[in-house]
Order: sequence, then structure tokens, then C-alpha cells
Amino acid sequence: MRWVLLLMALLLPALAQEGPPPDLPPEVFRIARELRCPVCQGESAAESNSGVAAEMRRIIAEMLREGKTEEEIKAFFVERYGEWILYAPPRRGVTLWVWVLPLLGLLLLGLGLFAYFRPRPLPKELLEEAERRLKEPPR
Amino acid sequence: MTPALLGNLGVSLTLAFSLLGLGLSLLAYLQGDGRFLKGAKSLVLPAFLAASAAFLALEWALLTHDFSLAYVARNHSTKDPLWVTLVTPWAALEGSILLWGLLQTLYTLLASRKLLDPWRASLVLAVLFGIQVFFFGVMATIASPFETLPDPPPDGVGPNPLLQNHWMMAVHPVLMYLGFVGLSVPYAYAVAAMVTRRYQTWVEETRWWTLIAWGFLTAGKVAGMWWSYEVLGWGGYWAWDPVENASFIPWLLATAFLHTAFVQQTRGAFKTWNFAFVTLAFAATVLGTFLTRSGVIQSVHAFAEGPVGPAFLGFFLLATGLGLGLLSRVSREVRDTALFHPLSREGALLLGAFFFAGWALVVVLGTFYPLLVEAFTGAKVSVGAPFFNQVSAPLGAGILLLMGVGPLLPWRRAREEVLRNLLVLLLALALGTLLGLSRGYALGASFALGLFLYNAAAIYLLAREGVLARVRAGLSPWGFLANRRRVGSLVVHFAVALMGLGIAFSQTYRLESEKTLYRGEAWEAGGVRITFQGVRALDEGRRFAVEALLETDRFGEVRPRLHFYPQMNSPLPAPKVVYTPGNDYYFLLMDFDREKGEWASLRLIVTPLVFWMWVAGGLMALGTLYILWPAARAEEAKGVSPA
Amino acid sequence: MRGGLWLLLILALGGLFWWGMQRDPRELPSVLAQERRPAPDFALPLLPPYRAAWGETFRLADHLGKKPVVINFWASWCYPACYEEAPVLEAFWRRHRDQVLFVGVNFQDKELEALRFIAQFGLTFPQVYDPRGRVGVDYGVRGVPETFFIDREGRVLARHAGAVDEATLARYLEEALR
Repeated sequence: MRWVLLLMALLLPALAQEGPPPDLPPEVFRIARELRCPVCQGESAAESNSGVAAEMRRIIAEMLREGKTEEEIKAFFVERYGEWILYAPPRRGVTLWVWVLPLLGLLLLGLGLFAYFRPRPLPKELLEEAERRLKEPPR
Repeated sequence: MTPALLGNLGVSLTLAFSLLGLGLSLLAYLQGDGRFLKGAKSLVLPAFLAASAAFLALEWALLTHDFSLAYVARNHSTKDPLWVTLVTPWAALEGSILLWGLLQTLYTLLASRKLLDPWRASLVLAVLFGIQVFFFGVMATIASPFETLPDPPPDGVGPNPLLQNHWMMAVHPVLMYLGFVGLSVPYAYAVAAMVTRRYQTWVEETRWWTLIAWGFLTAGKVAGMWWSYEVLGWGGYWAWDPVENASFIPWLLATAFLHTAFVQQTRGAFKTWNFAFVTLAFAATVLGTFLTRSGVIQSVHAFAEGPVGPAFLGFFLLATGLGLGLLSRVSREVRDTALFHPLSREGALLLGAFFFAGWALVVVLGTFYPLLVEAFTGAKVSVGAPFFNQVSAPLGAGILLLMGVGPLLPWRRAREEVLRNLLVLLLALALGTLLGLSRGYALGASFALGLFLYNAAAIYLLAREGVLARVRAGLSPWGFLANRRRVGSLVVHFAVALMGLGIAFSQTYRLESEKTLYRGEAWEAGGVRITFQGVRALDEGRRFAVEALLETDRFGEVRPRLHFYPQMNSPLPAPKVVYTPGNDYYFLLMDFDREKGEWASLRLIVTPLVFWMWVAGGLMALGTLYILWPAARAEEAKGVSPA
Repeated sequence: MRGGLWLLLILALGGLFWWGMQRDPRELPSVLAQERRPAPDFALPLLPPYRAAWGETFRLADHLGKKPVVINFWASWCYPACYEEAPVLEAFWRRHRDQVLFVGVNFQDKELEALRFIAQFGLTFPQVYDPRGRVGVDYGVRGVPETFFIDREGRVLARHAGAVDEATLARYLEEALR
């Protein structure tokens, strides 16, 4: 009975088993980490256990064997899923700003700090008061 | 009496006590009448007890398998082991809100016993009661943990299998909530300070709360990273997922606040920043929950998309608006008038705080950028780990640089003798970087090594300075240890430097590959030789497990598993991690021959220095604990602080 | 003044989040349909019950440029959406088979279970078998079921994600025939 249950549990997974999956070299995972898994909730194609992510890793491995470069592989997926699939937003168009804004912020921060640390003149009233007191004969 | 009845009673009573307390403390403030304050204070304990009763009612329902409660039916199964049952209250939304609310009543109780100034006390209590009203109001209306089912099922499916794979999941949420809730006390004090226009003492009075919150947030984050690494089976500890970011943002802001608050405590400066940082840090804790529960952003952590989204959004806006609104009203009065020199302790602390706050801003930007783009152009874009890693690296490096030099700088302005120390530090930095480069490491990793040595040198110099000062004064050098704030912060700083080293190396050098092995076949990868001996199936009641038997030349037998849960479509890989001081070896069983067990598909991930990140996490917690240890206050009162 | 700016910023953030809650973050456009690209070709083995009528393999290119084509990606493990739409698809196909060609692509499934699903709903339009889901990747499929409508020139007109209903099928067919 237990074994029947176990077998049922083993049959459950969605993916068909047609022989063992292919071997994946480290390069595959490096590229897959930069691609978003299309059927997941915010996981990369390297992390996800879903069927589509597994197929993506397999496609990447095949393309690498065919001698395709990383750019060509990424372009292949962008062609099909749009730039949404890139975890590193391209440095142009609307996503240019996400790269530029931190730099801009850093610049503003620098300027703000410069202003903050710059020796500021003391308020006029205070200086006048100090001067007046200095001139007063000591009591 | 049924669990549902007790639970509903507990929630309603806590809500009633909190509402009454809120009213009384506001009256106390408006009328300036101590009797109302006394009345409000007397409600703190009943609110905590009623909230505890509600929480115990949920545990009771789970332990007695009371499936007439919707929460129990959805998240519990009679097959769950005892520890899973006990932690199920925080396995889903409603129970988590209950735990959060309970911890809030506990913190209100503890905070109410230390209220010194009756004028501000009423406002502090009002804010804390107000927060309780929100949480228990949500539970009483839209997210009740005690909703009953007309037609209870005989058994449930149990909590999300990912949550019951590792005991760490029992700890991580509680630590996070303890941290989140901890920020409510400094926030309440800050609001009271701004209303009553007494801007100075609140940072000193909430110093312990800030540290406690920071300690728990840090421990919670590290626990979460560990869980992610050991359980999720992707061989990483940080994915820059929106919800991870949402809990990272309060940590960053709390860290910024911790450092600027230190300046206000000792020098009376940076009041504006403290009000701003504490408000944002507290608001960010609410934002995290909003993100998780509203479905605004795609995330692995986004679970149920209940009706609580708008409620948390409103609360977030209210908390931020209250803090920043008050700040803008008093901004003229809290402005810094003193002059600062950038090469001073306070200069370095402010710069460091800005780095943390800037980092928080960048994380906010990256997390919400897809939403922003979609709102304005309708286009779908993703901002993920590659972006966050690239922008975080320089920020992290900047923080590590400041962390070393900052504590060595004297207040006000650097003096000549500091230059010698700086020279030592720069030498350590250069030496470490060159050492890394000569060993063939990438520039980033080499620089991280340099930064680690640089910080180690700084800590050595600081400790030596402290000890020598005591020796010169004819005191025992061991007395230096009694300066808990100094010693504890040195330990935490060292841990941060170690963490930085671990992050830099584990992110740069990660080897991940997958291979199918037939029985008896060997695989040599990442310096280890693995021989596949076969698979074995195990029946564990609530799940089935399949183990791959791997013989390795260095670690003996290793058995990564696949877990099959009845409620899951696909199996969950349960990794086996072998830690060594250098590399971590992470074994995953991805697939196996279902007919004869002739082959198994394995993934091996080799990552350097991850072990040291967990050590660093432990050190951070220990360092914080050392500062907080009760004896510290007594010692400090004796005035042995040379800093 | 500066305080007012802060409050405005907070309100803007609130507005953005509010807007964000009203939409479904999982709804993602199809690149193929947006740009009306030519439908990616594929040649996949037909499932056994259809081999007598359609041959061993089904090549999409052989059927493009004549009638509009509707490609439906499905799987037996996709419950309940695929189970809801299967009878709708079959009924529509029977009524309009002279105007349009329906093709079912069985996506990352097991053959036995796929056949059981086909028998359960008595599907008569050709069904091809794609256990790896490679064609799904070519079409940018983000989950099953998804239905693609291809016009008479062989360009992708629209994609429908989730279970498809009668009205949607009729609307897109009319558009494709125009």
C-alpha cells in the first residue's frame, strides 16, 4: 500500500521522463541567473525548478555547444519574451533611468554634504552681540 | 469554551483596551491630567493578556486539530509533527498578524514601564496604542485568524512545505517581527518628541530599543539567508526578491538611525536626520508587509492576496505622513547649528548613515521601478539581482571604508596623530588588495580582502588604544571589556567586515554545474570526487523522500534528497551542504531514474566563504547582546568610557 | 513648503501603490502578438489518435497562409483552466472547422496522461506532443493554457492567456478572417 502511494507520488510531477536530462556546465547557470523564469514568481531561470526554467537551461546549454555567445543567447530569449526577461534592465530607453538615478543621487548627496560641511558664517545678530559683549568693560 | 470563541474574545478585548488606551492617553495629553495617563497605563497589561489569550487560542486550535477554524483547515494537518504545529501560527497571513500584534502589546507593556516624562508619556502611549488598534482592528475585520467554516474538513493540507523543511523557518519570522515591532518604540518617542518639542532626550531613552530592534532585524535577516541557503535549494542566500528587499530597507534605515542617534546622544547633533530615519525605518516595516500581501509586485514570497493590502498601505502612509509631517512643522527648530568638519567622528557617522540611507533609496528605486515604468508607459520590465549587485557593491565598499576609519577619528576635527593611524589602515588596504591580486583573485574580491584587512587593522588599533589608555592610567587592561558599547560595536564591526568578505567572494566565485551519473559512475568537480551509488526511497508519513547515495572522497557519504509532498505538484529538492572553511559544497538531487534508479541527475554548487557569513551573523548577534547585557548600564554609570 | 513637497511625494507613492493593486502583475503581453510577427514554425510529432488523419509529424508552415490557425497550449496537469476550456475549444472547432484550423500543443506533459485528457473531452482537432516545451519557449508561453490566433497571412494576431471562452474565440476568428 505504501509503495503504491509512493509510486503515485513519483508519478505526480508534471515533467515527462524521457531519459536523463543533459549535463549543464557552470556557464549555463551564469547566463540563466540573468534571465527571468517566465512562469515563476520572481525567480531566475537558474534557480527555478519549473519545467520552463529547466527547458531554458537546456536551450542555453545547446546554444553554448553551438558556439553562440552570451549576447546571442540573451537576444534569443528577448526576441521571444521581450526585455522583461532580462534581470539586468538594458541601459537605454525607459530602463536607462534606473541606472542613472543612483549616480544622480550620489552626485546630489555629495553636493548636499559639501553644503552641509562647508563652514557657514554665523548669523549676523550673533556676531554683533558677541562684538558688543567683547567691547563691554568686564564687570 | 472553544478556541474560536476564546480567540475572538481575545482579539476584541485587545482592540477595545487599545482603543480605550488611545483615547485616555490622548485625553491625558490634551487635558494635561495625570489620572488619564494612569488609566491608559493600566490598560497596557490587560491588552497584552488578551492578545496572549488570542494567540494561545490559535495554538490550542492547532494542537487539538480544530478544523472548524478556516486558518487551521488551510494551514494544518494532523500529520504535522509537533514543532511544525507549534509554529504554524506564523505560517500564514492571519496568524502572522496575530503574532505581530501580540509582540506589539508586549513591547508596549515593556516600554510603558520606563516612561519618565509624563508629558511625553501620554503621546508615546497614544502612538503605541494606535499601532495596536491598527493590528487588532485588521484582525477583527478583514483578516481574522478565528474565522470559522460552516463545514469543517476532516483534515487539512498542512503549511506550505517550504516552511516545514527546516527549523530555521520557525525562528526567522519571529526574529523579524521582534525587530519590526522594536522600531515602533523609538518611532513613538520621536513622534512624542516632535509634538512636545523636546528634541534631545528621546534618542537616549530609546537607545536600548533601537539596539534591540537592530539586533533582532539583523539576526532575522541572517536566519532568513541561512534558511534560503539550506532549504530553498538554489544554492544562494540572497536573491534580491522584492520581499527580501522590503525587509532589507528597514534594516538599512535602522542602521542609519542607529549611527546618527549615537551622534545625538553624545553631541546633540543630527536631530533632523534622527526624526527622518526613525520614521522611515518604522514605515518601511509596514511597507514590507504591504508588499508581501497586496500582490503589487511579483515575488516568490507574495502569498495570499487578501484584502489587507489597502489597510497596510493606508497605515504605511499614515505612519510616514505623521512622522514627516511633524518633522516639517518643527524642522526650523531641530536644524543643526554647529559646524561640522568632514574629517571627524560625526562627519564619518553622518556620511555612513547617508550611505545606508542612499542604499535604501537605491533598493526602493530598483524594487518599484518596474511598477513605475508600467504606470507611465505600460511596458513590462524587470529589475533583478544583476542590477542590485552592481549598485550595491560600491555602496557596500564605501560603508566598509567608513566603518574602519570612522571610530578612529576624534569628535569635532581630526588631529595630527590620527594621520599615523590612517596610514596604517591604508597600508592594510593596499596590502590586502595586492595579496588578493597576486593570488589571482578578481579586482573586486581582492579589494574586499583589502577592506577586510583594513577593518581588522582599525579594530586592532582601537582595541590597543583603549587598552593602552587604561594601562597608562594605572588600571587593569581587562577593564576595557567593561566598555560594552565600544567592545560590542567593535565585535559587530568586525563581523560586518567578515560578512563583506564572505559576500564578495561567494558572489564572485560560484561554481554551479549539473550532471547525470549512472550507478557507479564518478564525477570530479570543484575539487571533489563523487561516485553515485544508487537511490533509496523513504516514507516519512507526511511526505515521501528519495535519497541519492553519493560516495565522496573528502566528506564520506552525502545524501541529497527530493521531497514529495502530497500538496505539491513537483518535488522539492532538499540540499545537503558540506561546510568547510574554504568552500561550501552544496549537493542537490535534481532528478532520478523513476523505473530502476539507474541514474540520478545531480547539481553541485561550490561557493567560497559562505560558512564565514554565518559566523559573522552569529558575531553580530553576540556583539549586540554584549552591548545590551544589563551589567553594561551599571558599568557605564561608573564612567569608565574613554570614548 | 518643503514639508508640503514631502507629503506630495508620499501621496504620489500611495497613488502608485494603489494603482499597482488594481492590476494583475502576472498579466504580461506577448511579443509575437504586439508586433504581429509571423508565427514561429514548428514540426512536432502528432499524438497517436491523430496520425491517421494528419500523418506522423505536424509542420505548421504547411498549414499557414490558407485559413486562420488557432494554436492552443495545454497540459493535463493544468487544472482547472485547461479542463474548463477543452470542451469550449472542441465545440467551436466542430462548428467552424471549414473556416479555421485548430492545433493543440500538449506542453510538458506525459503522453499517457495527455491521451487520457484527449479521450475525456473527445478532442478531434490535431494534437501535437511537446514534452520539453521547446515550442512553448518559441511562442513566449508563460503558463498554460495559452491560445494564439494566427491570421491568414500567417502572422500572430493575438494571444489569450488563461482559459478561453466562446466569445473570445468568435471575436478573434472574425478579426482573423477579415
